[in-house]
Amino acid sequence: MPEHDSLIVLIPAFNEEPTIGDIVSHVKRRWCCPVAVIDDCSTDRTAQVARAAGAIVLPLTLQLGAWGAMQTGLRYALQQGYRTAITLDGDGQHDPEGIGELLAPLATGQADVAIGAFPERASRARRIAWSYFRWLTGLQLEDITSGFRAYNHAAIHVLAASEASLLDYQDVGVLLILRRRGLRTVEVPVAMQPRTQGASRVFRSWWLVGQYMLQTSVLCLARIGHGHLSRSSDD
Amino acid sequence: MTTYEITLMVIGVCIAAVILWLVRRDHLHGPYAIWWMGAAVTVGGLGFFPQLFDYLAVYVGIRYPPILAIVLALGLLILKILTMDLERSRQERLIRRLAQRLAMLEARLPLAPIHTVQPSTGQQSENPSGALSDSARTP
Repeated sequence: MPEHDSLIVLIPAFNEEPTIGDIVSHVKRRWCCPVAVIDDCSTDRTAQVARAAGAIVLPLTLQLGAWGAMQTGLRYALQQGYRTAITLDGDGQHDPEGIGELLAPLATGQADVAIGAFPERASRARRIAWSYFRWLTGLQLEDITSGFRAYNHAAIHVLAASEASLLDYQDVGVLLILRRRGLRTVEVPVAMQPRTQGASRVFRSWWLVGQYMLQTSVLCLARIGHGHLSRSSDD
Repeated sequence: MTTYEITLMVIGVCIAAVILWLVRRDHLHGPYAIWWMGAAVTVGGLGFFPQLFDYLAVYVGIRYPPILAIVLALGLLILKILTMDLERSRQERLIRRLAQRLAMLEARLPLAPIHTVQPSTGQQSENPSGALSDSARTP
């Protein structure tokens, strides 16, 4: 298992004031590692609450969305020399107790990225969307959109690069980059809580779902024939 | 000189003049200025010598010469729009990474509140642009 002094937990947050404090405290108490909250232009007191709970706050000046915020955290982790990064949502869906299960495949060298999967949470429409993207990309993952992930240093290095900066979503595009770079991704079954507040930023309205499906389809089609590149030299 | 030739000349010269004025006033920067200077010269030249299309159309097998002008103009416009979107994508990437970099810097070194002096009262007040930093508002 990675040493905790090389581990950082990253939480992208947008208006998560009611939950962020508890999550930060829980992670710090249980894992004794730094927690960075990336505040994606919240209009409430998310940043202050997170800071009061002991988190390092990275306040974005422009709203970059879930992936943009996540990448900010990964860049920060890389800059600060952390070897492993855990990402989890700030809405209380992901139980920090599951971090240990995510770290296990990285510690044994089984994978470079571990995704905490709980496909049962998905609605029928979302499952259809996942099946469609699996068919389009050949990805063998059940829970494509889960934000509960562990990245090792090689994966952090790849995803912090500018190649990933124009992605708008953290799912298919990110997974395709990892696959292209020859990094191994595994899913780990974890428990998830129902959202206590807020809503999915992607599955909020049919218009946004349509936009997401179209944009991600184009991304998948654009990546057809992209061969595997060599693993990051930093690995 | 026929009326249509005069019309074309006036339109060509006007477009070229506007472009040159914008370039001279530094409203069009670097590579954009080069593209538009080329456009100004082309439009101006064709305004004076519209019969050039008649000769060119014969060489490329187009029976109705004005169509050649329209096809060329459309092609160049599509090319220009494409390069504009390429440039927008490049700038979008830069802006996102700049915002991320700023957030990383603010995490390491919270910015101090920005104070400005009110000219009328001489009193200091927090600049609204201090909204840049959430951390600037908290001790």
